[in-house]
Amino acid sequence: MLLSPNAMGRPLRTGLYLTTGIIAAFLLLPVVFIVLLSFGSSQWLVFPPPGWTFKWYDQFFSNPEWMDAALASLKVAVLTTFAAVALGLPTAFALVRGRFPGRELLYGLFTMPMIVPLVIIAVAVYALFLKLGYTGTLFAFVVSHVIVALPFTIISIINSLKLFDQSIEDAAVICGASRLQAIVKVTFPAIRPGMIAGGLFAFLVSWDEVVLSVMMASPDLQTLPVKMWTTLRQDLSPVIAVASTLLIGLSILVMFIASALRRRNETNA
Amino acid sequence: MSAVIKEAAHGKTLVTLRNLNKHYGDFAAVDNISLDIQDGEFLTFLGSSGSGKSTTLSMLAGFETPSSGEILVEGRSLVNVPPHKRDIGMVFQRYSLFPHLSVRDNIAFPLAIRKLGSAEIAKRVDAMLKLVQLETFAHRRPAQLSGGQQQRVAIARALVYEPRILLMDEPLGALDKKLREDLQDELRQLHRRLGITIVYVTHDQEEAMRLSQRIAIFSHGKIVGLGSGYDLYQNPPNAFVASFLGNSNFLRVTASSHGAAAFEGQSLAIRLTSGLAADQDALIMVRPEKALALSTEQATREPLPAGWNEVNAKVGEVLFLGESQTCQVVTAGGTEMTVKALSAAGMPMQPGDTVKVRWVVADACVYTEWAESDLSKAAGAH
Amino acid sequence: MKVAINALHNAQGADPGTGAPRAAVRRPPLSQRWRGSRNLLPALLFLGLFFFAPLIGLLLRGVLEPVPGLGNYEQLFANSAYARVLFNTFSVAGLVTVISMLLGFPLAWAITLVPRGWGRWLLNIVLLSMWTSLLARTYSWLVLLQGSGVINKLLMALGIIDAPLEMVHNLTGVVIGMSYIMIPFIVLPLQATMQAIDPMVLQAGSICGASPWTNFWKVFIPLCRSGLFSGALMVFVMSLGYYVTPALLGGAQNMMLPEFIIQQVQSFLNWGLASAAAALLVVITLVLFYLYLKLQPESPVGNAR
Repeated sequence: MLLSPNAMGRPLRTGLYLTTGIIAAFLLLPVVFIVLLSFGSSQWLVFPPPGWTFKWYDQFFSNPEWMDAALASLKVAVLTTFAAVALGLPTAFALVRGRFPGRELLYGLFTMPMIVPLVIIAVAVYALFLKLGYTGTLFAFVVSHVIVALPFTIISIINSLKLFDQSIEDAAVICGASRLQAIVKVTFPAIRPGMIAGGLFAFLVSWDEVVLSVMMASPDLQTLPVKMWTTLRQDLSPVIAVASTLLIGLSILVMFIASALRRRNETNA
Repeated sequence: MSAVIKEAAHGKTLVTLRNLNKHYGDFAAVDNISLDIQDGEFLTFLGSSGSGKSTTLSMLAGFETPSSGEILVEGRSLVNVPPHKRDIGMVFQRYSLFPHLSVRDNIAFPLAIRKLGSAEIAKRVDAMLKLVQLETFAHRRPAQLSGGQQQRVAIARALVYEPRILLMDEPLGALDKKLREDLQDELRQLHRRLGITIVYVTHDQEEAMRLSQRIAIFSHGKIVGLGSGYDLYQNPPNAFVASFLGNSNFLRVTASSHGAAAFEGQSLAIRLTSGLAADQDALIMVRPEKALALSTEQATREPLPAGWNEVNAKVGEVLFLGESQTCQVVTAGGTEMTVKALSAAGMPMQPGDTVKVRWVVADACVYTEWAESDLSKAAGAH
Repeated sequence: MKVAINALHNAQGADPGTGAPRAAVRRPPLSQRWRGSRNLLPALLFLGLFFFAPLIGLLLRGVLEPVPGLGNYEQLFANSAYARVLFNTFSVAGLVTVISMLLGFPLAWAITLVPRGWGRWLLNIVLLSMWTSLLARTYSWLVLLQGSGVINKLLMALGIIDAPLEMVHNLTGVVIGMSYIMIPFIVLPLQATMQAIDPMVLQAGSICGASPWTNFWKVFIPLCRSGLFSGALMVFVMSLGYYVTPALLGGAQNMMLPEFIIQQVQSFLNWGLASAAAALLVVITLVLFYLYLKLQPESPVGNAR
């Protein structure tokens, strides 16, 4: 009926598909638009552009400020990824396998950075680092990004750990492995998709993070979104479109890797 | 509940399926089915999965549109009537109760849709709850009920608006054996009391036998057998039905003259069969419980009566099954047969013994046409 | 990174107890009660130090600075300009929730209807837009919606309007941009809810006599309710705390709470007032999130075993 396309009746189905098409176009519009814009020749972002050009890309890649920012973004994102997975892994193990009171509450605490508005985390952490004199350091960037990335890694590792049948690990122990060996050789490979997904999430969160980064940034150290932000507040230069396109490109790449991994995992299962 | 009880008017056709087809691309899920369903009867569609029985039911309900053909109820075509206007009741395989509504509201749903007054709704729902013995569960949600209770709610929901036809799609399939048998008995009584027409789909032949007045056997989208369970079992219309229902022994013979045939070089008497010419290949079918196995001494003590056949065979295996025993034998020509007898009758054979297998000529069916695949079990699906 | 390495070390060291219930039976009851909790320490320490402590510190400043008392809160509610900020925040969040729900519902429905092929592509579009840089998308809307932007030009070319509409640097721009950003957060939970509905239940509704219209309102929508509620609540909560989009698409005149907080900190160094506003936002967020959790049918850490 309402859940089978063949049985729902032509007018309703056509109406639904049409509406859906328009909304999907609405979702795609800004993404496609910005990519086109980055190749447009108009300084004033006239659309459709009078011609096509790579000159904004030249400007982007030849400007040390943009390049430094891109490099800093990459550095922060990679460090955040590793730190978030390393912190998230034991936490997920404890929350799934531990038998202690208040696990629900603890889960709530660990996911709180996802809930509390970023602005408030940013202001709070900013106040702390201001006092410690850490603002503008790589440490400040990574720590603040890990705070918001951690819930994502914890959740995805929990999800794959819940699917893992612990008796397989017990079987490895019966076969003579120590508990540690069993976890490393049997459990880790089994939950690897969750660990990788968690890491990818952490990477994307950090790569895209604006609010915290704007507060942590100094003239010497700023990430790509920060550079975009400060530039945006002055004018709408097409170089921002280039930076946006690169951000989008990396996000798509990461999504693609994630779905390829998921597919491989599904075929293995 | 007197409102629902109607005199069963047997012999009057309520539903007619005429040359009904359902194709999915090149695949014929339902292949030119014609069938008359009598008013007030309990008819079962029996077949393995993929045999077309559920698709036919779906077309009756209106969830599938026939590729061609007609569905008539009292002469009125249903093909272009959407399901919600067909006034047919249906009980689904997984009950499909509304999870957000209580038992009472589930049963009241069809009445509320029909905009009945709240007093009338309450009266009818109460009567239904009583009928299915769920008065004390009226305020529970479906998730808080056992499978059997959920199924009773589904039946009540399907009956509350007094449809003339009730469709049931393997409604007991998800329940365990004991509960299933209890509900089968309840269902049979319910049918007797309400006189409603029930079309029931199942793959379980025992269930079909237990419940229905008539059975339609489906295979490859066609109805290959139609009749009472007794007739279909005792006189299967073809080799497929014979092999599908219960167990059967098939002997390949060549007709020699009228009423006689050659089996592995030996002459056997067969039923008079129209359309059987001399030298034509034929198949005779003997139910295991219709055959007797006699040891050599027994056979010499009791000479072969008139109207009986006898073949020699060697015992392969004897199995004790509680109330009955079976004996697997192989004839000299390599034909395998099974003989079944009540344990009380005794079967004092050992593997390797030579026995004589006897049966009444009139009990063996003769088929002139068959496909090899018909002779193996579970060949009904595509 | 030192914290992280410690964490990994702990994960491996502490597990014999958690892994094998049989081995743990002989342990004293207290450690039995807290079995496996040692693994929580690294993350707890990290969040305690860098998240909870600063957060509590910030909230305290609201009642301590510039002088101890509730003066900041008084100001927040008494000053009409500040009250205006609160009003903007809630009305924009409400509007965004409604619009993104109206747009997200058909999308979730279509994805559920056609799980393969087209539906898969629709889902990919939703995911793509969700994971595309927020800043990039907001920048794109800024260019699209500006006076000389594509949308104004298109509307004028079609003869719908004569002069360009002002769609940026005001609340219109904020609502458009945020609704766009929130659609995926409605679609994903709603789609999961719809996926879980047994299609046969709708068939049952229809054989019971419900027309497609009745079936939609009396069966389908009630069955989608948990997804709709949790999606809407999530979007509302997120909208209350959004900063980037309102800051870029909105105007200086009509601020929302998050912008107000940043402005107080960065421009006026008025930490007291900013903290009071932050506390208000945190409390509202947590209360709504608690409601959200109450709507979730199962526990997130419940054991699959």
